[in-house]
Amino acid sequence: MRLIAAILLGKTVAFLTKLLKIGGGSAAPGLYALSIEPNLVKKLALKIPRNIVITGTNGKTTTARMLAHFAKESGLKVIRNHTGSNLERGIASALIHKSSIINHQSFDLGIWELDEAAFNSVAPKLNPDIVVFLNIFRDQLDRYGEINTVLKNWQETLKKLPSDTKVLVNGDDVNILKLSSAFKGKVQKFGVKDFKIIGESIFHKKEQENLDFEAKNVKLNGLNGSSFVLRTTNYELRTILPLPGIYHIYDTLAAFACAHNLGLPINQFTNSLTHYTPAFGRVEKLDLPRLASGKAGLGYIFLIKNPAGATQVFETIAPNLKPNDTLLLALNDNLADGTDVSWIWDGEFEKLRTTNYELRTICSGSRAHDLAIRLKYAEFDPKRITIEPDLQKAFKEARRSQKGRLFILPTYTAMLELQSILTKSGVKKHYWKEI
Amino acid sequence: MKKFKISNLKFKIIVGYLYGDLMNIYGDTGNIIALKKRAEWRGIEVKIINISVGDKLKKEEADIFFFGGGQDQAQELVSADLIKSSKGKVIKKEIERGVPLLSICGGYQLLGDYYKPHKGPKLPGINLFPAYTLASHDRMIGNIVIESMFGQLVGFENHSGKTHLKKGATALGMVRKGWGNNGKDRTEGCIYKNAVGCYMHGSLLPKNPKLADWLLQKALEVKYGKEIKLEPLDDTLELKAHALAIKKFG
Repeated sequence: MRLIAAILLGKTVAFLTKLLKIGGGSAAPGLYALSIEPNLVKKLALKIPRNIVITGTNGKTTTARMLAHFAKESGLKVIRNHTGSNLERGIASALIHKSSIINHQSFDLGIWELDEAAFNSVAPKLNPDIVVFLNIFRDQLDRYGEINTVLKNWQETLKKLPSDTKVLVNGDDVNILKLSSAFKGKVQKFGVKDFKIIGESIFHKKEQENLDFEAKNVKLNGLNGSSFVLRTTNYELRTILPLPGIYHIYDTLAAFACAHNLGLPINQFTNSLTHYTPAFGRVEKLDLPRLASGKAGLGYIFLIKNPAGATQVFETIAPNLKPNDTLLLALNDNLADGTDVSWIWDGEFEKLRTTNYELRTICSGSRAHDLAIRLKYAEFDPKRITIEPDLQKAFKEARRSQKGRLFILPTYTAMLELQSILTKSGVKKHYWKEI
Repeated sequence: MKKFKISNLKFKIIVGYLYGDLMNIYGDTGNIIALKKRAEWRGIEVKIINISVGDKLKKEEADIFFFGGGQDQAQELVSADLIKSSKGKVIKKEIERGVPLLSICGGYQLLGDYYKPHKGPKLPGINLFPAYTLASHDRMIGNIVIESMFGQLVGFENHSGKTHLKKGATALGMVRKGWGNNGKDRTEGCIYKNAVGCYMHGSLLPKNPKLADWLLQKALEVKYGKEIKLEPLDDTLELKAHALAIKKFG
């Protein structure tokens, strides 16, 4: 009875937030419902035959989305938490949204992304069949604490999981590998041949881990993506990934490993990737409205939210920049971004600097000036940097004289703001309407 | 920005990054970048050396020290090494002859008498700053603005250790907004000779160029034995961000 009341309340809150347009309905319904029925997630998750939990600092959303995309194409009914809402309330919201009081709507598979802290309290409630650990980097110390603390808590949670749980770990991440010993059952490793992640950086590795799932013959193909061969026991699959950067190969590997464990027809995996569209802001390619000059504008959005992720984005973009391109960076210091903006000093903005020409650069967001200083100390010419804290104005300014492509690098809440700016200008649909 | 005086060309500064591989928790590297760039923009050559566990430290090996914050485990390791490798003693002697130092959070704590964690024994410090730190259950987190001999300083603090200054200690400044050393007595940081300790991340130096330049100036003065006047830089951007931080958080 309490469960039904909780679902009803959640649905009402969802309806009201949408009606009043005060949000995407990705957190509030769950928050209210949980206050009535704290066991809501556990109870509703029990009705789903198989659940997958994905955690890590970077790549959760892309991995979950990629896997969901493939699972749906393989004919499964999938439920997952959307829009990067990866705390318990986000999961509760998704479950409430898809729950019907009268008849129980059936799902085949739940795919849940959980942030570093929420993993420990929420993962056991979901009774997962598969748990994926993507990576661990420094991220918002104000929220998650130190890396060692995060790892220690993960180990504690792992100890409590039943031994037949399938645990998938990034075998190239030296910190993540340390988790293996905490788990009773078998651990499967995925990784990229010749690469190793130590601390904040990806290195070429000398010795190979024994990998259960591996990407080899990796060829990076600029902003268009990469190609590689996915290998698992007695099986190889040539793959073309339409997302650029090494880090997306790890997400793909994780999705592939999950699909393999679920018994999905993995020979169709590559085919499925060809019509995969990225999650909002995760290397999104945009067709911007035509400029007054009649030229069509091309834009890219790359979310940046912590040093490792940002540096990976810089490494991906830098070799592809051209003198006519424009950079728009937006740094906010809201709770969801981390109120401490010190992290920008650990991100290697030096890698984004072009050496033989100066890019047109605009800094925006509530901490636009901090960002501009960071760029100055990365040897950008301060005279070529425009500071406009108001993102809407900054976007307008970027578009006003756009010649080449526009690269937009926002932090999390700046990205949400950007989505609404783009929606207003007719470029994007609302993110919560995404499937 | 890349102007420099011929007279400066002979100047060279060696920055000793104490335990840079272990104690660099959040944006601490930004302070190193700020020192390096602000020196280079004036034509002063900069070399950064990492001084870590097991390394020996000699007199005059570094002209300026930086010591950042670390995770609890790293802090234990570093505390033991400061004593075992006698780096602690050398650092103290160097400070006595005027070598400048900036330490933040964990580094600051280990330069005091000791750090007492929740569990386990005290981690001994090197007794440079007349201060001691006790672990607490309060997380002191947020933007911080203090009044100091360098004018107002802005940064971001994130610590649960509470530092208490002993009699005769000089605070770096008084808290205008934020927690500071212990959240009680409104002091923040400590200054002894040309050594500064505090809880201010941010990173601290890029937005507080006055303090950055003071450290550079002291380093050159001690090294070259004469009074130095640094060439001014165009700090419009830095000062604007500094003023905005005070307006927003102060």
